[in-house]
Amino acid sequence: MSDKIKITPVNRGKRPAFFDDPAIDQLMAIVMSMSAEMSVLYDRVDTIERLLDNKGTLSRDDIEAFRPDQDTEDERNVRRNEYIARLFRIIHEERESLVSHDKMDEYNELMDELAKP
Amino acid sequence: MPLQHEHEFLVTGSHDEMNRQHYVSRLRMHILNQIGAGMRGVYENRVKPKFKQTNGRVPKNEHEIRKAMLADSYGKTWSTMMVNCQDMVWESVRPAIERAQPGLNEKVSRVKATHGSIVLNSDVKVPRYLAGADIHRMPGNYHTERATDDVTQGALYDRGRFVYNGGAAGPFADGIPRTMAAYIKARWPDFKPKKILELGCTIGTSTVPFVDAFPDAEVHAIDVSAPSLRYGHARAEALGKPIHFHQMDAEALDFEDQSFDLVYSCIIFHETSRKAYPKILEECKRILKPGGQMIHTELTPVANMDDFDAFYIDWDAYYNNEPFYQTYTSLDPEEWVTKAGFEPSKFFQASIPDLDRSPPDVFAGAVRNPTVADRKAARVGESAKWYTYGAWK
Repeated sequence: MSDKIKITPVNRGKRPAFFDDPAIDQLMAIVMSMSAEMSVLYDRVDTIERLLDNKGTLSRDDIEAFRPDQDTEDERNVRRNEYIARLFRIIHEERESLVSHDKMDEYNELMDELAKP
Repeated sequence: MPLQHEHEFLVTGSHDEMNRQHYVSRLRMHILNQIGAGMRGVYENRVKPKFKQTNGRVPKNEHEIRKAMLADSYGKTWSTMMVNCQDMVWESVRPAIERAQPGLNEKVSRVKATHGSIVLNSDVKVPRYLAGADIHRMPGNYHTERATDDVTQGALYDRGRFVYNGGAAGPFADGIPRTMAAYIKARWPDFKPKKILELGCTIGTSTVPFVDAFPDAEVHAIDVSAPSLRYGHARAEALGKPIHFHQMDAEALDFEDQSFDLVYSCIIFHETSRKAYPKILEECKRILKPGGQMIHTELTPVANMDDFDAFYIDWDAYYNNEPFYQTYTSLDPEEWVTKAGFEPSKFFQASIPDLDRSPPDVFAGAVRNPTVADRKAARVGESAKWYTYGAWK
């Protein structure tokens, strides 16, 4: 009973790679993990600020013991969502560029209209 | 999104681990909903025209759409993010559970059966459909035993699924079964089941709402996974809910003929097999009393979807380890329920608005006027309707 337990995959299969060079898939995984670590760090700063606001002093144990209430968690989720949107902006830009491409005819009409004397 | 209810056996993690889990939830929802929202536009504006130019026609089914989407950079990016985020879910939960062991196993083994009970049977074989693939890429799936009296997979599933859902199913992760129970009570107010059985209960999150909805009933729940059942039993005892857990295979139940008034399941069939599905329906028929009800919530049949929505099913089947997903959704529930021996006139189906995510009048309207929504309106993560079907015996 005292043996350590390791949670390992049993039948997960090979991890799929979607790009021609699997290094791109790996790079994306690294970026996503890094995004999580930055968010965790931000939450830690947020915890420190909240504890200082309330008590003016803190210990490492205070930080470790801090658990957000629902309001704090809601605030953090708003910040996390905005952070994710900023971080992955380039992907959304591609999506939006497709829409504007669709509207090129409309834009050309506008140009023509504005050019009329 | 709500925080998870912390019962006595839940393993969350340290300050940083919990924040990492909460972040992964938000990231997953962002990929699914925000980045995912661009997929159809990419298909219509870029992938479909290119396919047409090369082949002189549009893609003829979801398989061709998947291949074409995965040749597009947006499709590749979305896909690699989805797979990676899925792994991040389990990875965010893993260290805390490993650290909690073997103490968690010891703590659970000391639980007394005060409210309910648990009967394990080591002769029950894990079916190939569970043994063959780590479903949802969950390391070890629902059933792997890593030690004596092990509950690791139960703990991993409890916290991991909450992270996966981003809390969308409520603090007790029970949105679907709570919706089902409320629907049964609202649509058939005279139906008062005395003995209830859930199939494929895992850790019993979907069993508890039926105990609450039918407090006079005796509630049983079965699963093949001992680690999930042990954990589920401990969880139910901690919550003070009388549930009788049994290690059984739904294809061959140990219960006598005509012993239950209500038998139900929550999204289990697409994780079984083409051979198991009809056998499970036949077992439902056998163990029901005359006048009893069978009811299942599952994915909407693919016949109700357009090809692009069906592409997501295809994608999940391949990359989220859901090997029976495609075949299951291609089956017509009415046909198979009837083949299992239920009268065609006793079949029913409806798309039920989620109790938490719909206004009360919408839920009441769906009770008065049962309809099946098309898949476009019912994709998980996009809206909040659950396809439910069953029959009276």
